[in-house]
Amino acid sequence: MGRYVLKRVGYMLVVLVLLSIILFMIYNLVPANRAYTDAKAEVTALKNSIPAGETEAYFEKIYLKYQQMYGTDTNNMLIRYLRWVGLYPLYNGKLDGLLQGNFGYSYDYKKPVVDIVAQPMINTIKINIVSTILALGITIPLGIYCAVKRGGKFDQAVQVITIVGYSLPVFLFAIIFIWLFCSKLGWFPASGMSTPGVTYTGWRKFADELYYMALPLIVMTFTSLGGMTRYVRASMSDALTLDCIKTARAKGLKEKVVIYSHAWRNALIPVVSLVVGWFLGIFGGSLMVENMFAYNGMGRIMLTALRSSDYDVVMLMQVFYIALSLFGNLIIDIIYGMVDPRVRVNK
Amino acid sequence: MSDKKKTNASKKGSTLGNWFGRLFYGGANHLAKEVEGDDWARAQAGDAEEIISPTRQIIRGFMERKLAVGALLVLIVMFIIMFIGPLFMPKYYDAYTEVTQQNMAPNMRLMSMPKELRQDLKMVDGFGSFTVGLSNAGKVYVWGSTQLGTTGIDIGKIPEEVQNAKIALVAAGIDHIVAIGEDGKVYAWGAKTLGQYGTKAEAEAKNDVNPNIAYMPQELVDNGVDVANIKKITCGYQATAILMNDGSCYLWGNKKTYSNMDRFLNMSNLDDIDFTLSYIVGINGPRKTVYTGSRDLYSQVRGNVGDKAVPINAYLGDRTIEALTATGTSIALLLSDGSVCFTGDFSLNAVPAPELQEGEKYVQIVGGTHHYSGLTNLGNVYSWGRNENDQTEVPADIGKKGVTRLFAGSFQTYAADDDEVVASWGLKGYPFGTDTRGANIFQRIIQGGKMTMTIGAVAVIIEAIIGIIIGCISGYFGGKVDIFLMRVAEIFSAIPFLPFAMILSAVMGHYVISETMRIFIIMCILGVLSWPGLAHLVRGQVLVARESEYVTAAKAMGVKESTIAFKHILPNVMSVVLVSLMLSFGTCMLTESSLSYLGFGVAYPRPTWGNMLNGANNATIINAFWWEWVFTALFLAITTICINIVGDTLRDVMDPKSNRER
Repeated sequence: MGRYVLKRVGYMLVVLVLLSIILFMIYNLVPANRAYTDAKAEVTALKNSIPAGETEAYFEKIYLKYQQMYGTDTNNMLIRYLRWVGLYPLYNGKLDGLLQGNFGYSYDYKKPVVDIVAQPMINTIKINIVSTILALGITIPLGIYCAVKRGGKFDQAVQVITIVGYSLPVFLFAIIFIWLFCSKLGWFPASGMSTPGVTYTGWRKFADELYYMALPLIVMTFTSLGGMTRYVRASMSDALTLDCIKTARAKGLKEKVVIYSHAWRNALIPVVSLVVGWFLGIFGGSLMVENMFAYNGMGRIMLTALRSSDYDVVMLMQVFYIALSLFGNLIIDIIYGMVDPRVRVNK
Repeated sequence: MSDKKKTNASKKGSTLGNWFGRLFYGGANHLAKEVEGDDWARAQAGDAEEIISPTRQIIRGFMERKLAVGALLVLIVMFIIMFIGPLFMPKYYDAYTEVTQQNMAPNMRLMSMPKELRQDLKMVDGFGSFTVGLSNAGKVYVWGSTQLGTTGIDIGKIPEEVQNAKIALVAAGIDHIVAIGEDGKVYAWGAKTLGQYGTKAEAEAKNDVNPNIAYMPQELVDNGVDVANIKKITCGYQATAILMNDGSCYLWGNKKTYSNMDRFLNMSNLDDIDFTLSYIVGINGPRKTVYTGSRDLYSQVRGNVGDKAVPINAYLGDRTIEALTATGTSIALLLSDGSVCFTGDFSLNAVPAPELQEGEKYVQIVGGTHHYSGLTNLGNVYSWGRNENDQTEVPADIGKKGVTRLFAGSFQTYAADDDEVVASWGLKGYPFGTDTRGANIFQRIIQGGKMTMTIGAVAVIIEAIIGIIIGCISGYFGGKVDIFLMRVAEIFSAIPFLPFAMILSAVMGHYVISETMRIFIIMCILGVLSWPGLAHLVRGQVLVARESEYVTAAKAMGVKESTIAFKHILPNVMSVVLVSLMLSFGTCMLTESSLSYLGFGVAYPRPTWGNMLNGANNATIINAFWWEWVFTALFLAITTICINIVGDTLRDVMDPKSNRER
């Protein structure tokens, strides 16, 4: 088992490196030269103090300074990449990259990227975890019930509804829910994180935040119901056809015990892997929801950064998303390896 | 064997054709042909008929599911509408915008003049989404789209006092109506926040005086107006002018829309006045120029819509301007010899005015927002100008109807004889309303559907090509190739889809490339990022098929490996692949919509279902202008739901395990 995990971790790291190279190359496709822009800005700002005629030379000096600072004083992409990661020294022999904790500098916020990302990341994780719990709480009982009553009226109705559920894009649900709950019923605020201009403390603050989080949360939960319910139902009905279930029934066990103890445990394996995978996928989905509800999460930060070409922020987000998805795959692999010995042997 | 196949005439069809052939007619014939040639196949054809092919089994199973069959029908209808529909919209173009028709609710009654008014018509006026009419009996009627944006004002609700009074004249602006009673009292209703009506005293009382508004003259409200001496009443975007016979003029409204309004206030020698969308225009003095207050604005005229512009003095010679009629961007001048000339801007696709017969003269010209209609002394009626909304589609038999009067709404023309309206033509309405730019949502849905479906389809084709080839190679050859390819697939599937597509699209935005190229790249992004799933599926299927007898047989006969993989195995796993592709078509459409919705996909003015929903991103629009998202959302939802139902059902009936259970 230990060897298997090690192998998977090693593999994950290789993929992460490969993807980060791809990402870095794409990032470098952007025809923007930060050192040039900064040098130009500084020269313009100091225009009066530079003696006439020397502007050119002065600019060259500053330009070189900025290039050295950003590590772009070479055309060798590999060196640039290694500098970005923090494995190749800058002109002064210092290492300053991702590994040293330098995640870049946001031009919009005039702050290091890490400072900007921290709070939204907490917000995103918060909303994702709550919606995962909610969704699981609904879909697992529903899926089991449908599998047990397979082919019945209720099951068929749920099947049709869930198809609708996973056929619609997230933003459409958001539009419909805003229309219903904000405009028609007036239950929830349409956007924001907390009541503007009011500073609550303690319990009131929590309640206020929850009130603003409610609608995005409902949308996120609702959008995941369709696919999850179908998946739980499918794996549960697969489990119900197993021979061990027949045996259990033949032994005269109560139907409840058969379903919840025998069948459900067998159905759990695919469901667990789904939950992990889906929990990661939901970060992509929350991008849309955060944007629609002006919820200050990572997705929103990334969108605004993309729109304003604040690429250091985008890069960090992207690396985070990739790392997250690889980490999720790793967890799925390990869980599979734990519950199903064949997987370990095969790989 | 392979040589024989190449010479075989019936094998000329493409591989893809073969796959489909096998999928729908069963593989027996093809296999037979491949192995023994046509004669054998013909001899055996009778036997092959006896057995139900798996495909037929699938079709049979599918037909039993009512919901799925219904979904398939809906889907087919959708495709037909989206791909045939645009052929019926020759006048449509992507960038069409119309400032006077923004955010209009679904309405097909823009030309539905009330019946009693048709028989007793005095005058009609329209500037924006609604039209106002006045009967000889002095009753006011309003029809069209009468809800004014988010203000909550229904301009169709005629005030009590107007209903009770006998009205002599009416005029309509973009969001207000002015009526003058027989007794000279001036009434106005509709929006008034930007000086459409109301006096300065009123504003002062509310402490809300706006320097950009020319307020309604106080004496007009106090004393009324001398109705007998009114020459013309006309409304502009948010402005109104009452021209008197003595050349004086009451003028009020929003100076922001009409920057030259100051020049016209207190003028005393005007012969005619009208509003374009941005200027007030008039005739004064010697009737030789168009007066706007600023020089050279309309100093060039042209004899017809498409003609070359010449200086106005040279063109007029000793003729004078009798009257002017303004549309949104251009002005028609009726000259003293009964001919017309034009000044201002015309769009390239405007319909030119007709050549008149010898001795035929215009007696009346009316103008809508983008079209003119002219009545001649022979009783003929012509319409010209822009024709996106059928404004210039004059009924053919109009000349025989004895038309004596013409009236124009914003996109309609009403022709009347001495008593009643005999014909009307132009814009009937918008079945799905208009968007924030004033474009017809119905037309954009159909054009956008074509685009969305095309993007989905091409993305799926790209996905299919990559996925099938890699899946086949990986599954058939196995070993190191398999491990390598599957690792590559895993890398691709580890890429978070939406963020990655967004960054690619954003990077693309920095390069100057054509919109078509951009769209193609988006298709590629969608296709390239979604193939791993398909490759896994194909690989799994091929792994199973590789062990089957017919492959062993083919190997034993010495058929080339690649031929076995792509010509023997692939057709047999094709049905599963097609279903997966169908589902992934739905997913691609959704992803494209999401991307476009966020502004990283196809950009305006090209419509897609995603970017058409782009405007619906705040509660006010979602609630007040529900038609701007409901219809688009419905089309998108129905299409993807149907795709998923059909795909799911197909997958179900193909799976022998689920067949057994049901």
